[in-house]
Amino acid sequence: MSTLAFMSPELAAPEALASPLARALAAAGPALGLQDLSRLGKVELRGDVAAFAPEPGEELLRLTPQRAFVLAEGEVAGTVERARAAGLRAYDVSGAWAGLALSGEPLMRRLTELDLDSFPTAGALAHVTALLFRDGDRFRIFVPQELGHYLVEVVLDMTRGLA
Amino acid sequence: MRLEPRPGERIDRSKEVSFFFKGKRVSAFPGDSFGSALYASGQRVFSRSFKYHRRRGLLCCSGHCPNCMMTVDGVPNVRTCAVPVREGAVVVPQNVRGSLDFDLMAVTDKIGGPFTPAGFYYRVGHRPRALWPFVEKFLRNAAGLGKVDKHRGREHRTDTEYRRARVLVIGGGESGRTAALSAAIDGPGVVLVDESRQLEGHDLGGVEIVAPAQALGIWEGGLVAVAHGDLLIRYRAEKIVVAAGALEQPLVFPGNDLVGVMLPGAARRLVEDWAIKPGERAVVLATDDRGLETADVLRDAGVEVALALRVTKDNPREISAQGRRGRLRRVLVDGEAVDCDLLVMSGGRQPAYSLLAQAGARIEYDERRGIFVPRDVPAGIAATGSVTGEIGNGAVPAPSYGSGGDKCFVCHCEDVTVKDVKRALAEGFDSIELAKRYTTVTMGPCQGKLCQLNSVRLIAQENGEGEAAIGMTTARPPWAPIEMGMLAGRDHEPCRRTSAHHRHEEAGATMMWTGSWKRPHSYGDVAGEVRAVREQLGVIDVSTLGKILVEGPDAGAFLDRLYPNRFSDLKPGRIRYSVLTTDGGRIMDDGTIGRLGEELYYVTTTTTGAGRVLAWFEWWNAVWGMDVELLDVSGALAAVNLAGPRAREALGALTDMDVSNDGISYLDAKQGVVAGVPCLVLRIGFVGELGYELHCPSPAGEHLWDTLVAAGARPFGLEPQRILRLEKQHILVGQDTDTESNLLSAGLDWLPKLDKDDFVGKWATELVAERGVRERLVGFVMRNPVLPLEGGQIVSEGRSIGRVTSSRFSEATGRHLGMCWVPPELAEDGAEFQIMVDGTLEPALVHLQPFYDPEGARLKS
Repeated sequence: MSTLAFMSPELAAPEALASPLARALAAAGPALGLQDLSRLGKVELRGDVAAFAPEPGEELLRLTPQRAFVLAEGEVAGTVERARAAGLRAYDVSGAWAGLALSGEPLMRRLTELDLDSFPTAGALAHVTALLFRDGDRFRIFVPQELGHYLVEVVLDMTRGLA
Repeated sequence: MRLEPRPGERIDRSKEVSFFFKGKRVSAFPGDSFGSALYASGQRVFSRSFKYHRRRGLLCCSGHCPNCMMTVDGVPNVRTCAVPVREGAVVVPQNVRGSLDFDLMAVTDKIGGPFTPAGFYYRVGHRPRALWPFVEKFLRNAAGLGKVDKHRGREHRTDTEYRRARVLVIGGGESGRTAALSAAIDGPGVVLVDESRQLEGHDLGGVEIVAPAQALGIWEGGLVAVAHGDLLIRYRAEKIVVAAGALEQPLVFPGNDLVGVMLPGAARRLVEDWAIKPGERAVVLATDDRGLETADVLRDAGVEVALALRVTKDNPREISAQGRRGRLRRVLVDGEAVDCDLLVMSGGRQPAYSLLAQAGARIEYDERRGIFVPRDVPAGIAATGSVTGEIGNGAVPAPSYGSGGDKCFVCHCEDVTVKDVKRALAEGFDSIELAKRYTTVTMGPCQGKLCQLNSVRLIAQENGEGEAAIGMTTARPPWAPIEMGMLAGRDHEPCRRTSAHHRHEEAGATMMWTGSWKRPHSYGDVAGEVRAVREQLGVIDVSTLGKILVEGPDAGAFLDRLYPNRFSDLKPGRIRYSVLTTDGGRIMDDGTIGRLGEELYYVTTTTTGAGRVLAWFEWWNAVWGMDVELLDVSGALAAVNLAGPRAREALGALTDMDVSNDGISYLDAKQGVVAGVPCLVLRIGFVGELGYELHCPSPAGEHLWDTLVAAGARPFGLEPQRILRLEKQHILVGQDTDTESNLLSAGLDWLPKLDKDDFVGKWATELVAERGVRERLVGFVMRNPVLPLEGGQIVSEGRSIGRVTSSRFSEATGRHLGMCWVPPELAEDGAEFQIMVDGTLEPALVHLQPFYDPEGARLKS
């Protein structure tokens, strides 16, 4: 095992993995159109992040000149390897972030003070640190996994407020 | 009482709305406010005043003054003149003992005056001291506004929304609308905020209208808070245009608060908006054209205008209003009496500059117009319209037109009279800020909108200084009153949950806050959980521990500099315990550091110290500029501690790893797959039994927990853990130590390696070693079966010489034991001292070694 294998969810038996949002979303039901993105691969890069070229299926969010976040649809072992080969320090942080996709600017305006036109970005959402992406009217939010349940609670409450 | 339909009226006569007032149904039209509907029904007295309980009627009809405040549907202090009627609402007068017409507390107006001048509560009822709580309670009950029902929960939700605007215009008058339309020519993103309902739903050429809404304040970065219904909108605007207009000011004369005395705007709104005849016979006294023009509006409504007079500083010399049972009957102007039931008064208009002042504009006195005007408006903010000081023609009034006879109010909200202000000045409170705090002028519901200018004029006259020298009080948000619930917003408190959180709840755990985490206190049987760990097998969720990866060629050297002991010589696969200290050598956190590779270390911290330790690491890394990467993986990894005599057997059944004492010995860190999950296995034991701490990806945390529980491990919570660790005398940073504790006083003198070149806190630690410690942390056992409280005093010869930090009953040893701070001379095995327990001094003995398994044989087995 590599020295950081214990951080990689993809090395665990699939049946051993659970999303931090699963219970909260199951209770909410499908009507609200919320989508759980927690199982996406996530890699944190440190160093000269300009040296890393994302491949198809990977999305790069540059947080600082020396720090970036990669979202990957598939496994991230290859991403980590490529980044390390490019001279970066790379860490599989797939388990660190819970992800939620939702639709609608009005809802987002109740959740964050950030300029919705400045996405992708990192900043505060519902009083916690978040990584934020936007595709038209669809927003992807990533928060520390231990706050995932809280995020869903807030989103559901705000949805009720808008209703 | 309604006039014939009038062009521009804002009521819809085709429909009817009704509400209840004093138990009776009151009819109204859509478009009415509660206040207008009550006025139309013949109601003239709307409230009793704050201190003297004088009758008060409509004064401003614009939601500024306190005169119309009532309790509506249980919500106190509702300005009924500005709130639209709603079907079935229940409106109740407030601050009365009896009724609006007969209030027992009105006696204070008759006899209380001499006894209740401004600030009397600073002098009366304080001696003997025991008297004051009763006096205070009486005064609070006697004076005041509406009462909040403490037993009533929140009945409607309030939300906060964050919006952006290119141009935000505050004020929907003519100037505001013009500014908004002009800005809209350059593109979208123009928002107009207006407090009235007139613009609600209107189309204004691409301008987004938010009405009725109140701008509450302007902050840095173009932040403007706007209250809009139950929504608090936080606008970020690239440019702000303030068109807040100007505020009509009352004249100051005896009887200026009688029912029937009102400002021009109030009379106009009654006639023009709600088609109500304000009175039968009126007098109009105004300094400005706008005020005098009200006479025409009144005549048009069929009111006889007996006198309309422009008031200047010297003419008339005296004005007074007289009434009966609090209602206006006549006005005396320089001794000439004019019978009337309506007096429209205006001391001119003061620009509503408060928002501009909050934003940083300078406020300057304009001698010619007798008003304060904004100057040097900051970049990104503009002012337009009457808020700039363009208020039309008008004279400057006298500060007061007489003070004999009836009370002469400067401040209607707080019942502050001319006499009160003069008295405050005579007592030395001679600046506007001091006089404000002493008399409470400007501190009432209007927040100075209707009284600040008059109080400044009065102080200027009395002090012989100009108004410019007196100045105005500091403008602070909120500009308009709002409910506290709106400021509070939604009740969302970030709560961190571990991967197995739901499993703990399902198992009946009592959850408790630990920092921002929720953790199990216990699962209902503390003693049983302790026993399971000592005799069988227990498992505790320790995912909340802080976890930091330290990677890089300088990682070892970096940790050597941070911690008192050495890590560069730690072999890969091994763990070392350490304590982090401040530059001053004080203990700030503790944890284990495992070396996972040549350039990779894994640091754990306490749960509540995780953020602080990471910030500490990052700060020093920035200072030293070493080649080290720091990654917070606290949330990325779940962790459980499997502990007890059966731990090896249980773990061995779930993994291919060699879990023998040779395969993974005490203080080893090894990786392997446990129950299908990649894990970092740390052979450590906070609870003093054979134990393994398993760290794995968080998404697999619940599975790992389930598997261990299914393998026979009994979950135990924080309380059992505290007992178990106390039996081992393992310290809890923050519980057994405080911000003054250092390594040597805490009995950790074996830890610092003073032969190292340097480390954070080395100098301070050396200094303590040189000077000696002032107290020592030691274990103790009670002689008798009593349990001292944590925080209990160690007593010697009647003097407190120390304190208990931890104490529990230990079933394993059959003793009541704990840890405490004592003078160093007592830090010897067997030394005896006394602890105060329930008022009795109980003997205790110092015990320096762990109470349980002192050799650590079980831990290392």
